[in-house]
Amino acid sequence: MAQLRQDYEQFQQKDAEILVVGPENAEKFQAYWQKENLPYPGLPDPNHAVLKLYGQQVKIFKFGRMPAQTIIDKKGLVRYVHYGHDMKDIPKNEEMLQLLDTLNGDNGE
Amino acid sequence: MSNRVKLNAPAPDFELEDMNGNPVRLSSFAGEKNIFLVFNRGFK
Repeated sequence: MAQLRQDYEQFQQKDAEILVVGPENAEKFQAYWQKENLPYPGLPDPNHAVLKLYGQQVKIFKFGRMPAQTIIDKKGLVRYVHYGHDMKDIPKNEEMLQLLDTLNGDNGE
Repeated sequence: MSNRVKLNAPAPDFELEDMNGNPVRLSSFAGEKNIFLVFNRGFK
């Protein structure tokens, strides 16, 4: 997440907001956000409602939850989705930023 | 069984409170922002 913090400004320049969802409660989110000084919103989902909605595999809990990312454009459409196989299986910010450029272009900006 | 999102389909809308208790609804960003939605593995 430190990587995201570093590149947050670039995301914002491309009209993107970063939202982080996790099963931890608000207290844990607050503590981590303060510790890491994260600038983007964190959304606690202790009831797993959104996690389930977006298909984070619940059965993988015992090995540790796998990361997942998705990009939703300004029309509310899913334009990218990635379910990681392990902790390191996350897309590069550069890829995400390039995709955002494409989306912004598609939407006639 | 997982419920994976589909490309080019509408993203499922949701509302959660941020860690300060302010409601955040995905669809509120429509027309204004692209959203990079990250599901985190879990942090200490």
